Amino acid sequence: APAVLAQAPVVVKMQTSWPASDIWMDFARQYVVAVEEMSGGRLKIDLLPAGAVVGAFQVLDGVNDGVIDAAHSVSSYWYGKHKGASFFGTGPVFGGSATTMLGWYYQGGGQELYRELTQDILGLNVYGLFGFPMPAQPFGWFKKPINGVADIQGIKYRTVGLAADLMQQMGMSVAQLPGGEIVPAMERGVIDAFEFNNPSSDLRFGTADVATNYYLSSYHQASEAFEFLFNRDFMDDLDPDLQAILRHGVDASAASNTYFALDNYSADLKKLQEQLGVTVYRTPKDILAAQLVAWDALIETLSKDDYMRRVMESQRAWVERVTYYELMNAADLGLAYNHYFPGKLAI
Amino acid sequence: MIGFIRLADRLSGWFGKTFAWLILLMTFGTSYEVFVRYVLNAPTPWAFDMSFIMYGTLFLMAGAYTLSQGGHVRGDFVYRLWKPRTQAAVDLVLYLIFFFPGVLALIITGWKYSSRSWSYGEVSINSPAGVPIFQFKSVMVAAGLLLAIQGVAQIFRCVLCLRTGEWLRAEKDVEETEEALIHQREQELEQRAHS
Amino acid sequence: MTDPQVALLMLGLFIFVVFLGFPIAFTLMAMGIGFGYFAYFDGDRMWRAYNRLSETAGAWDQWSDWIAGFFNNRIFDLFINQTYTVMSNEVLTAVPLFLFMGYIVERANIVDRLFSTLNVASKNVPGSMGVAALITCALFATATGIVGAVVTLMGLLALPAMLKARYDKSFATGIICAGGTLGILIPPSIMLIVYAAASGVSIVRLYAGALLPGFLLVGLYLIYVVGRSILQPSSAPRPTDDEVPDVPLGRVLWMLATSFFPLAVLILSVLGSILFGLATPTEAASIGALGGILLAVAYRALTFQRLRESVYLTARTTAMVCWLFVGSYTFSSVFSYLGGEQVISEFVTGLNLSPLAFLILAQLIIFLLGWPLEWSEIIIIFVPIFLPLLAHFNIDPLFFGILVALNLQTSFLTPPMAMSAYYLKGIAPPEVQLTDIFRGVMPFLLMVFIAMAIVYAVPDVVYYLPNLVYGR
Ligand code: NA
Ligand code: NA
Repeated sequence: APAVLAQAPVVVKMQTSWPASDIWMDFARQYVVAVEEMSGGRLKIDLLPAGAVVGAFQVLDGVNDGVIDAAHSVSSYWYGKHKGASFFGTGPVFGGSATTMLGWYYQGGGQELYRELTQDILGLNVYGLFGFPMPAQPFGWFKKPINGVADIQGIKYRTVGLAADLMQQMGMSVAQLPGGEIVPAMERGVIDAFEFNNPSSDLRFGTADVATNYYLSSYHQASEAFEFLFNRDFMDDLDPDLQAILRHGVDASAASNTYFALDNYSADLKKLQEQLGVTVYRTPKDILAAQLVAWDALIETLSKDDYMRRVMESQRAWVERVTYYELMNAADLGLAYNHYFPGKLAI
Repeated sequence: MIGFIRLADRLSGWFGKTFAWLILLMTFGTSYEVFVRYVLNAPTPWAFDMSFIMYGTLFLMAGAYTLSQGGHVRGDFVYRLWKPRTQAAVDLVLYLIFFFPGVLALIITGWKYSSRSWSYGEVSINSPAGVPIFQFKSVMVAAGLLLAIQGVAQIFRCVLCLRTGEWLRAEKDVEETEEALIHQREQELEQRAHS
Repeated sequence: MTDPQVALLMLGLFIFVVFLGFPIAFTLMAMGIGFGYFAYFDGDRMWRAYNRLSETAGAWDQWSDWIAGFFNNRIFDLFINQTYTVMSNEVLTAVPLFLFMGYIVERANIVDRLFSTLNVASKNVPGSMGVAALITCALFATATGIVGAVVTLMGLLALPAMLKARYDKSFATGIICAGGTLGILIPPSIMLIVYAAASGVSIVRLYAGALLPGFLLVGLYLIYVVGRSILQPSSAPRPTDDEVPDVPLGRVLWMLATSFFPLAVLILSVLGSILFGLATPTEAASIGALGGILLAVAYRALTFQRLRESVYLTARTTAMVCWLFVGSYTFSSVFSYLGGEQVISEFVTGLNLSPLAFLILAQLIIFLLGWPLEWSEIIIIFVPIFLPLLAHFNIDPLFFGILVALNLQTSFLTPPMAMSAYYLKGIAPPEVQLTDIFRGVMPFLLMVFIAMAIVYAVPDVVYYLPNLVYGR
């Protein structure tokens, strides 16, 4: 609205893709707090849940048009505009974790490829940054136990981005829905099984009411991160120090989100198991193996596009070097855990 | 003026009615999905996208048709007590200032929005089948154009009514069961009065 | 003027314009765009650009760019975004299909068969014709989601029969008006789909939740009809054998089976598949529409003419409902952008109402809005004002929605906009006056309030089915 006073804070209208009750709103709030504190009150973020201005899947359009100034989302939500979007979160798993891939974005050439996609290829008026490197995402929730690839044929399953192509490749029938619509869709019979992201969101969505078999470990989304979108004109108009605060706030929230997630995700997994009668499994090995084979097929198809081929080459080169170091160097944490908490892990 | 009104009515009616048949496609298409999904355990990846694309196209394209038939709901508990001339005067002002900004935005901004979508061949995100939706986004431009033409016709109707004191109704069209039955009854009573 | 004050002005102006009788969808659109233009207008930036241009004596094309800036307001993008949100709304895809099903079934001569059969079957019950009419309406309500047709069909069929049997005029018309309005409450109801789209409550839970309250209301209506017939036999005399023939029991059962069975299969397959999560509402609606077509074919009632009518009417009614959504989505996002939602919520929470007082106040307002307005406007425009307040008072939107659905039964029966009464008046014999109808409807309004009170006192009436089917 007009008549802004000189000393009034710049208000950033930031909408997320998450329902008001989701734990990810808390994650976004950590960003808000960091930015507001660092700016000494010169920036104020008006944080809105999905649907407040535009739909969960429409935040990119909203930011581009300036209907909202910023968004807190994931890139796979706009892969309908270009499948390449999905590589910034839900791409082939060459072996890197989310942290590995966040490293690729900031140090390994990802940022330039993202800029090329959003600005040169799609002609969008946005800047994007990536935050919180998420723990690998569970294979998800099933009404009946699944023992192998045969049990998932024809199942109507919810996921997003290239993970959807992957699951389709494996013989599932895939629907993509925003997080807030999953459990209602399960009740309505739109889907028979789904994954969202993590035990805390699942708990808050009321997942345990509609399914009780929870499968952890999967290659479908092992390296996702939050996408922060900013309208370019809005960002360019800000004083340089405020721009810097909005940018570095993303890094700060990546760290605080991580600590917060470790605490909550683990506690909520326990709650699901102990209070809500959910059975937690590791995903059967043959399904994991089939996922890698399905990725192979997808990689071949996607490589036909020049842009996507270049992204995958860049990611592969990064992972080959970096993850070699990570894996060679890593302590066998499972061994230590078993030593101190014997018999708990069912891997 | 009357010629233009009739032309606009026919145009809106033709588009509205033609796209109305999408409901049959929706019925059969979704029923087919139910069959292959629940009986053969082989759901299609496109049924859901098709159903919302048909639903959206249907209601958008029927907007002008509904307007020409006076089918958009009004809070008319006061309005219907007025003389036609008063109704026309109020309607005329409101069509001019209330109707056109939104309809022009549908055309102009809708064009910008959908041409962006055309430029990258946007597909639906609901399934990996990649059902195109850029053409669907353009439907709002088409609907806006029809509404604009019909809106001009409605303004002409107001002007005409201000002159003659009587509304120029749209030509007879299908009626709701209750309206049809009520009209039938009115005619019967009239005939009885005459004989 | 602060933004929230502007928001309140927006709401006030909207209500005023509604009274002027302009199509509401376009009124909402205009208000949303007009006030949104103000909300998104960046006067600062325009002013800076103006100063820059006048200092540098900008060229003509720079000035024209500056002028174009006035048309480059973000509200237009927001409006297009909201339009697309309605276009791609999954819940609303069921609307045209359920409408189509209803229009087809209306034209399948089912009401006649049901009523004549039930009339024979209930002959020995006090107020038999009233009972038969109510049950016909209730059954038909499970196959259609709208009102109108049922009232007129029953008005042509049952009303003359009742008047001939010397039923009290206002009693008979009250029964038909109240019974004919049930279609919008008992699933599959278009009103509940629209509430689901407006509130985000799961449509299947709403359907499951509305079923028992719907039948509870039917039960109360029946108690009233039978009770009054016993206490005041002159208002509902037993039909003579001429009017309703005595038919042997076996034959009655056979008639029931043939007239009721196909409809029952249709209803069970549609509602059953939704309630047990076997199919989405959209899928079930398509099966219902297909089943309706087959049923009409089986009853030899389907002509191309009737099919075409159904198709066109479906398009018109769908357009009516969904354009209203296009307008209201835009209106309400601007309203909340300006902080209007916040002001209302602060005002209401500041009243320090108890949850019960809030609930009664909200329902009273909705009841009063139902006098001049119709259900679609109330649910799409006014109910969303209450929705954000529910959490504060710890009221479940599902529960609230069922109360609203019950409440809005009255909107068809209360003047000045009493659609059911008007439809009935339109086809009733000339000696039936609107005042007769309104007098006849009064006791049924009381039954609606009693039903709401029972639902409030025993929430299990709402929750029993959803809990049974979906757990929690
Ligand atoms: Na119904
Ligand atoms: Na009313």
